[in-house]
Amino acid sequence: MARFLLPFAILLGAAALAGFCLVAESYTLFVIALIALTVIVGVGLNILLGLAGQVSLGHVGFYAIGAYVSGILILKGWDFFAALPVAVLVAGLVGALLALPALRVSGPYLAMVTIAFAFIVEHGLIEWRDVTGGANGLMGILPPSIGPLVFAEKEMALLAVALATLCLLGFWRLSDSRLGRAMRAVRDSEVAAQSVGLNPVSLKTLAFALSAALAGLAGAVFAPLLMFISPGSFPFSQSILFLFAVVLGGAGTVLGPVIGALVVAGLPELLSDLAEYRLLIFGALLLGVLWIAPEGLVGLLARLKRIDPRPARDTGADVSALLRPEKAAPLVVEALGISFGGVKAASGVGFTAQPGAVTAVIGPNGAGKTTVLNMIGGFYRPDAGTIRLGAADNLAGAPAYKVARAGIARTYQTTQLFGTLSVVENVRIAGADAQTAEALLAFVGYGGALAARADDLPHVDRRLVEIARALATRPRVLLLDEPAAGLMRADKDALGALLRRIAQAGIAVILVEHDMALVMGISDHIVVLDAGRPIAEGAPAAIRANPQVIAAYLGGTQTRARARPTPWQGPADAVLSALRLTAGYGAAPVLEDVEIEVRPGELVALLGANGAGKSTAMKAVSGLLRPVSGDIVLKDVRVSTLPAHRIARMGLALVPEGRQVFPELSVRDNILLGASARRDAPDAATLEQELEAQFARFPRLKERAASRAGLLSGGEQQMLALARGLMAKPDILLLDEPSLGLAPAIINEVFDVLADLREEGVTLLLVDQMAALALTVADRAYVLESGRVVKAGTARDLSGDAALEAAYLGARPAAS
Amino acid sequence: MLIVSAIVSGLSLGAMYGLIALGYHVTYAVSNTVNFSQGSSVMLGAVLCYTLWITFGLPVALAIPLALLLCALFGLAVERFLVRPFVARGSNAWLMATVAGGIILDNAVMFGFGKEPRSLPSALAVSPVSVFGAGVYPLQLIIPVIGLAIALALHVLLNRTAAGKRLLAVVQNPAAARLMGIDVKRAIALSFAASAVLAGVAGMLIAPLLSVSSDMGLMFGIKAFAVAILGGIGSASGIMAAGFLYGLAEALITATLGSSYTQILVFSAVIAALALMPNGLFGRAAVKKV
Amino acid sequence: MVRSLRVSRFALSRRAAVLGLGAAVLFGAPALAQETIKVGLVAALSGQSAKSGEAITRGLEVAIDEINAAGGVLGKKIELVRRDDESNPAKGVVAARELVQKEKVAAFFGGIDTPVSLAIVPFANQAKVPFIGVWAAGTGITRNGAPENYVFRVSAVDELVDEAMIDFGVKTYKTAKPGLMLINNPWGESNEKGLKAAAAAKGLTLAGAEKFDNADVDMVPQLTRLKEAGADTIFLVANVQPAAQVVKSLDRMGWNVPVVSHWGPAGGRFTELGGPSAEKVQMVQTYTFSGNLSKKGQTVLAAIKTKYPQVTTLADITPAVGIANAYDAMHLLALAIAKAGTTDGPELRKAFYEIGTYEGLIKTYSKPFSPTNQDALGKDDYIFTHFKGAEIVPVN
Repeated sequence: MARFLLPFAILLGAAALAGFCLVAESYTLFVIALIALTVIVGVGLNILLGLAGQVSLGHVGFYAIGAYVSGILILKGWDFFAALPVAVLVAGLVGALLALPALRVSGPYLAMVTIAFAFIVEHGLIEWRDVTGGANGLMGILPPSIGPLVFAEKEMALLAVALATLCLLGFWRLSDSRLGRAMRAVRDSEVAAQSVGLNPVSLKTLAFALSAALAGLAGAVFAPLLMFISPGSFPFSQSILFLFAVVLGGAGTVLGPVIGALVVAGLPELLSDLAEYRLLIFGALLLGVLWIAPEGLVGLLARLKRIDPRPARDTGADVSALLRPEKAAPLVVEALGISFGGVKAASGVGFTAQPGAVTAVIGPNGAGKTTVLNMIGGFYRPDAGTIRLGAADNLAGAPAYKVARAGIARTYQTTQLFGTLSVVENVRIAGADAQTAEALLAFVGYGGALAARADDLPHVDRRLVEIARALATRPRVLLLDEPAAGLMRADKDALGALLRRIAQAGIAVILVEHDMALVMGISDHIVVLDAGRPIAEGAPAAIRANPQVIAAYLGGTQTRARARPTPWQGPADAVLSALRLTAGYGAAPVLEDVEIEVRPGELVALLGANGAGKSTAMKAVSGLLRPVSGDIVLKDVRVSTLPAHRIARMGLALVPEGRQVFPELSVRDNILLGASARRDAPDAATLEQELEAQFARFPRLKERAASRAGLLSGGEQQMLALARGLMAKPDILLLDEPSLGLAPAIINEVFDVLADLREEGVTLLLVDQMAALALTVADRAYVLESGRVVKAGTARDLSGDAALEAAYLGARPAAS
Repeated sequence: MLIVSAIVSGLSLGAMYGLIALGYHVTYAVSNTVNFSQGSSVMLGAVLCYTLWITFGLPVALAIPLALLLCALFGLAVERFLVRPFVARGSNAWLMATVAGGIILDNAVMFGFGKEPRSLPSALAVSPVSVFGAGVYPLQLIIPVIGLAIALALHVLLNRTAAGKRLLAVVQNPAAARLMGIDVKRAIALSFAASAVLAGVAGMLIAPLLSVSSDMGLMFGIKAFAVAILGGIGSASGIMAAGFLYGLAEALITATLGSSYTQILVFSAVIAALALMPNGLFGRAAVKKV
Repeated sequence: MVRSLRVSRFALSRRAAVLGLGAAVLFGAPALAQETIKVGLVAALSGQSAKSGEAITRGLEVAIDEINAAGGVLGKKIELVRRDDESNPAKGVVAARELVQKEKVAAFFGGIDTPVSLAIVPFANQAKVPFIGVWAAGTGITRNGAPENYVFRVSAVDELVDEAMIDFGVKTYKTAKPGLMLINNPWGESNEKGLKAAAAAKGLTLAGAEKFDNADVDMVPQLTRLKEAGADTIFLVANVQPAAQVVKSLDRMGWNVPVVSHWGPAGGRFTELGGPSAEKVQMVQTYTFSGNLSKKGQTVLAAIKTKYPQVTTLADITPAVGIANAYDAMHLLALAIAKAGTTDGPELRKAFYEIGTYEGLIKTYSKPFSPTNQDALGKDDYIFTHFKGAEIVPVN
């Protein structure tokens, strides 16, 4: 019964402290009472900050409201124990009221709203003289009494300690309850919280109200303890100290506020002998504690706690039966469309996903697949079209949590787990009890510890837990956004089998995925999108053979590129080489033992399906992502430990994926910025000349030289990014997906430029989805699959190779 | 006459709020962090100027740049010791750390500078001139002009010089800026120095009207933060506009309703404005991505 | 991992150290047999009012040095224990409790802030330890209605100061329509009541009562309203910095009106901050080191200059009232202790009433305290002064 250890320890500590109170002298009692009150406010603030993730710099306002309500009522002759709940209620109500404006804002804006609130309360207390006694405050607030027992310091200290203990136990209970988990879920990922049916606004409002109520409770005890209150007793700096208490102790931990209160309310007493130097030393000590433990002292200890390694056990429950929806119904999407800033991201999208079947939505990058998923999931409001689940109402435009409650669950391209919650908590929050949660985790094949923190999971487990969580909502439809991205082959196969089993349980599975082997292997029906429009629909075999589909993927008839007239011949010593390069984000490496070499004047292409690790390789080489192991050598210098800007200054330029122009700067300035990394420090005239040269290469940019880069079309932005990269006069130019999201005519222009550059002798490393196109301009190529080089050779040899097509569209089924 | 006087002092205070708030803006734009001891930087500017000029007797033309240089060093120190160690660990505790830094600085200055307010003399704040029948010090008229001039100079510096454009590049896309060979860490440190210098300038300008003391910065820091938020912390021009708006609102409420309700009304207006426009009066919403 | 372990072990031992230290200071260490008589001070030692705490400290220390040089009281030396209240009443109460219950002071002094003193009063009466106000002038501090009143004061009393100010205005400037300029804090609030009552007692109608904040730079709107309402004298209650802003605002308006002020402007370099017109402001004081100094005054001035080398001119001795009040209060306390023959609170309280004649800095006290009047200074002890250059000189 380890989970009852903490409350037991709290009770034991409280009992010991209470025993000590019986013998302590009065000053000590008074300080204990003040620390206990700080604990109460700290617990309240911990609900807001630690559970709901909202910051407040105005809690002294609620503290003051509690104190004044109780003080005024006691002076009017009320019994303290009658005044106490009123004070708590008033503070809580004001908290809920403040939540209205506060929840519309976030970050520094939220901080400001709460600061303003604290000042309004302070000045309000001064000006509402008739009730509050103005700046001189209220005197003679008598301590409570029960029968003949008049509360002195000892009784007040005992009362404060008892209340603080109750608050700590309450917090322990809350943080482990469904409500507390829901608050933490909202903090960790508001998006995912909505998709399991939680309403973030009402949860955060509740957190605000609870938090304010506790501050009010502490204030209500503070008034009779001090017997005198005035606005000066509640200075703004106290708000900051409350926040300090929570942060120092460790936000979200049960005992954090105790440690924090000891520091912010107890430490100054230890330092009182320092007189005028006290604040100076106190400030320095606070800073010292922050340096040692920025996530809080208790948080630091919690990190050391060993996690119960027990994995999910197959409980023998019939999960398929459990998952089978009561009212299975097809999801019917009709004529769905949406535009962003005048650009149509999707239009006329329609399909039917049958229960018990896997429906895949595929298409090249930028085709609008995730956009469609986001519209179905309720994160985007479509401009046109309907989404119906069976005969129910149109769901188009409904908020995400309502869509979730209607029976549509989803997973995300980048997993959205509740990072600070354990694996089993992640699943339980979606509505499963502990037993079901374990059964679901076993069902999806999660083999790790149930108690592991979601943030600490390896990539593949994150995917599985996210699916288990989605299933825990008992969905009729399951949307999956690239669930196989970043997985190894074996994991992908297991995932495919899992998705089939989910479909067999009667759920309509909708899959957006780049891995064609997976898609072709498990789908019943495939919808192909290109540039936001459906271009084909049908069974896997038909889609696999559809020339329109193949063209959309490999770059076909509408695009062309110019090959080098005579094969490249040059020096063999490489400009850039990667040696046994392993890199990734977090636990699982995306790239493993990759060896690449680019020689002077050569154009080398790096090919592979989405998620194969191409962009990761580019990021690792350019220094944006530090490799885990292996070496990167640029012009005979090892650069694998250098930051990106140093590598850039050594003569490597990357034209990044998605262009990454500086949107608010002019086209001209964007191009000139490209020269920042130059070591030859060209003068203004030279720069001007080179700028003209770029304009000659890209006449369209010259026309728009003065306009903001953000206003350019995608194609123009790509030209701009190229020109910017060339201004660096790099020894090697890296291009990451230059054709992404561009119209065929523009793609042709881009590849013409690449061919020109190649002929001018620029060394190029190219990553592009359009494999056929890339191979035409390239001299040599590497094919990546699941983070490893599976094939390397001259472009000519590779272009006819079946392995390449397979890497993109999956192997052709033998019997078709 | 009453209104004219209120408008003049509203504009000069507003310009100061704007300058200090620009300090919040530059660091936020570059690094998504702010120095919550910005009020202490205001104080530092005024105190250093007084100390170098009056106490040490340096010529004023030397004292001012030297004081600003020291402000810049303070800004660098804040970034290096109070912000960077926490950001590097992915912690938000820089908020608390900069607050603690402010407490330490204010108290340290109290011992170094003395506990009583001193007057920073200025020939421009001795004999009043008449504007539409209201007597105002020439300095009060000059401050808004200087404030605007500095804001404009900052704008020109950022948008017309190569170094400024590199900083803007960092603001707009830090990863791409690194690819251009721009040292983003240095840019962040620079922004903290600039932030402290802006606050220091404001402190020196306002000191002759008010006085110099170790605790003069606190309310300036808080009000300027309100201005930064109200203007939309990502928008420099919005912040200057919000600064003038805030200063005028304060002065006009005081002039018409008396000073008792000024803070209540102004801070209520801040909450109301943010509730209606969650990204500030002049800020733009960030696009939410899933 | 290794690193985080090491850090946390450090944090652990640190935490243990803090806790241990805390336990030792809070709960342990019973007071050793006292070799000295401890007296306390709860005042603002940091923040905006730090200067006041410093002045009180100086007055007390000079007096203590004199007493100790003369052999102490009851054969024991006197020792001063100071606590910072940060101008926060709650902190003040905690500090008072610590001084009484942990440091076992025989009596303790209060600082500049009326709310802090008001917050301490009930505790002092309950703990039966004399609490002597040397600055805060709030009327209710000494007139607190307790049957056994342990609160004494050697300072001005707002209600009396307000009467004195109005009297002075009527006598000197033939004030018929007073205009009040009040700082928006507890001190201003308490004087608003007092001034209104004093004016009403004289049958004067107010032109108005205006408020301003500490950091305001422009009081022209408030003053304009008073001018338009026909005010013929300004009664000012504010500390030196905002008072200087009032003077500057009057300058800018070109309004030459008599200003009668509470003692606030004397707390700093008023003429430096407010310009030459500041000299025209007439201020209530309990004491000034300028003018023809008595022998006692010369001795104390010399002692201050010796003890605090940073004091070189009279302009550095600010605020004089804080020093003088504290100095006299300390001597009166020593007399009471000597009279009582003990530091026991109730005995000490009675001894206060038995103090005979004491030739002090402010005046010669004769039976300064009685159960019906716990204030050593009365209306006749106030002097009106004004700045001349950096010095404060009495009005002739």
